[in-house]
Amino acid sequence: MSLAIIDARQWQNRFDLESGQQMEKSNPVADMVSTVLSWNPYPGDVDEKANEWVTRTALDLVDQYEPNLVCLSYVQQFFAHRHFAHSKADWEKMCVNAMAEAQKFIEISGYTPVIVGTGGMISLKGAMDLSGIDGLAISSNWSARYCGVHQPSKDDMALIHKFMAEGKIERIVTKEEWIDLFKSEQPDIQIHQDEALMPDYLVVSNEGYTFKTMGTTLRKPVNIPENNFKVPVYTGLGKLDDLRGIKPLVRSNLIHHKIALILVEGVGKEFFPKDHSMCRNGCGWFCNEPGDSFYLTLSTGKHEPFAYPAGYRSFDRDAEITKFPFSGYMLSVPENTLALDYSGKSIAVGNRSMFMHMMFGVDISVECFARNLFNQGCLGVVHRMDKYGM
Amino acid sequence: MKCNFCEHKCDLTKGKSFCGMYKDEGGKVAELYPDKWCTYSPSRIESVPFYHAYPGSRSMIIGTAGCNFRCKYCSNSFIACQDPADVQDVMFEFSGEKLVTMAKKLGCHNIIFNVNEPAVSLPSLMRVSEYAKKEGIPMGCLTNGYTTEESTLMLAEIFSFVHVGLKGFSNAFYKKYVGVNSIDPILRNIYTLSRHCHIEIASPVIENVNDHELTEIAEFICDINPEIPWHVFRLLPEHDMKESKYPDIEKMNKALESARTYLPYIYFHNFVGSNWVNTLCPKCGAVVIKRFSLGCSGDRLDEFLAPGNVCSSCGTKIAMLGTKVGWCEKREKECV
Repeated sequence: MSLAIIDARQWQNRFDLESGQQMEKSNPVADMVSTVLSWNPYPGDVDEKANEWVTRTALDLVDQYEPNLVCLSYVQQFFAHRHFAHSKADWEKMCVNAMAEAQKFIEISGYTPVIVGTGGMISLKGAMDLSGIDGLAISSNWSARYCGVHQPSKDDMALIHKFMAEGKIERIVTKEEWIDLFKSEQPDIQIHQDEALMPDYLVVSNEGYTFKTMGTTLRKPVNIPENNFKVPVYTGLGKLDDLRGIKPLVRSNLIHHKIALILVEGVGKEFFPKDHSMCRNGCGWFCNEPGDSFYLTLSTGKHEPFAYPAGYRSFDRDAEITKFPFSGYMLSVPENTLALDYSGKSIAVGNRSMFMHMMFGVDISVECFARNLFNQGCLGVVHRMDKYGM
Repeated sequence: MKCNFCEHKCDLTKGKSFCGMYKDEGGKVAELYPDKWCTYSPSRIESVPFYHAYPGSRSMIIGTAGCNFRCKYCSNSFIACQDPADVQDVMFEFSGEKLVTMAKKLGCHNIIFNVNEPAVSLPSLMRVSEYAKKEGIPMGCLTNGYTTEESTLMLAEIFSFVHVGLKGFSNAFYKKYVGVNSIDPILRNIYTLSRHCHIEIASPVIENVNDHELTEIAEFICDINPEIPWHVFRLLPEHDMKESKYPDIEKMNKALESARTYLPYIYFHNFVGSNWVNTLCPKCGAVVIKRFSLGCSGDRLDEFLAPGNVCSSCGTKIAMLGTKVGWCEKREKECV
């Protein structure tokens, strides 16, 4: 059982994370998380103090809980740059500040860092309108590169090929080709969702282009992720060349080190310390965008593009029986995540909603509760009520 | 040449309307951006929020751009308060027929105009309604109620369920925070709409600004029909009031206690984890509909415990448009 503590500013309520049933459960750890939440109201996704909130909240939790493993995500610069234009100098300053927050946490806490960037961003060149097709095109709110196309007609395919001829689309792949790409490298790859909800075709844009379809945000993107087939990783713990190597590296070093795994979204190699390495991010033509597949690959050490595949009909699963009401489109706690079977203490803090409590398998998480930039407060989750006599 | 769609009654000979959506075309009011929509996406009807219409159903949410209000706290200002001309590149273009086809593709039971004010796009909505009626798809909307008598009747013709925002109860509030001089047309239209369609009312509460008007609003609703559901929103101030204090939940809830004695369907929400989103039987107090509140990310139906819209404990009729609709009821039959 996991306890969810909602902090809607000056007011808190407690629930069972999975069922959403209200709970009165009180114990010292839950009460400690409540206190930390009340000390740290969230300033908002694009507020310039949002990353400082991550550091401050994490340090408060470290003081109170003394974990061996800390997972952090700093995302303010990604949200802000996605929706608003900045000068090159301002954008660079935002990236430098995000890295400085990570550094501040390391200096104050003394944890051994593993810092991962999701890669840089690029100005939007254009959006391809697939909304009017005979079939159904779906691109998720936060995806730029991928669009799922369901039951396309001949005319629909002609339109997609027209965009391809204009240099806006890189490739069109069938569902089977997409799955086979990953199976060739990871034969036991899991397809968690009902496969029938997956698109018949995955349409992949060229860098700088995105899609206009059902599911794309009302807020127009200004900048989108580059095609980051390699992403920067900084750590003194060992040599890495693939994102999937981070989980085993962290787990094997937790015996001797207290480790902070830190994600800095939207930030590329130019803002990393010189002795960083570049790690493979994805498989073949598929690179993970900042989002669930990136977080899951990092946390499980495996490719996970099909847990919540791009362009699937997620809303068909959105019935009233859906579990995990605070976890957005996620339907279950993922398996084999970084700290799920770790016997030491672990926490996660970040301004990425949902992922912090679902993707790392930590004992305690604190995240903002924001949707589409609307700031509604914070969510604390205590996953392991059984640990350390809680 | 005056526009008659809302109470601004803009003189179109001087240029486009206040909302930026209408122009004069040969002596007639014409839309500047017909059949342009800012979104089309499936969502739970409770997320709008409609609590007493087709519970559990899948709605296709649509909207356009522009508004005839300038609420200082607007949460959709990036689309509602911009000049519509500036956001046309993000809009989708669908004829009324195509939009209804899309609703069917997405397995939606109904179509709801949300996001901004429907009065700014009435001719386009009329066209959607024509096809929706043919296909048996009900339509609903959120409106600020600042329509003329004639266009209020148009709203009632297009929409069978309407959620009206009653944002305060004084001219002073509407003048200072919304930018219109009088509340009278809104009160008039709530009465009119209540006679033609299912209505629910929402009042966003701002601490020390309009919380002292809650009792007057409750009494006004009760005089029209005590069975009208009333949603009291804890306002998350955005736009020009982004720095305002978040309203105190316990204090607001206490202020609603007396109104609960004569309005059976009061809900206090727009914040995650609210305790005040269930429907209780007006007679015996049993929970007849359980919901879960996710704040402005949308509420959801948890359990519908009133088969046939009747309280299982005492048999009292629960006020409701339609009855429970399964999330995938339409999906099985006709969508892509």
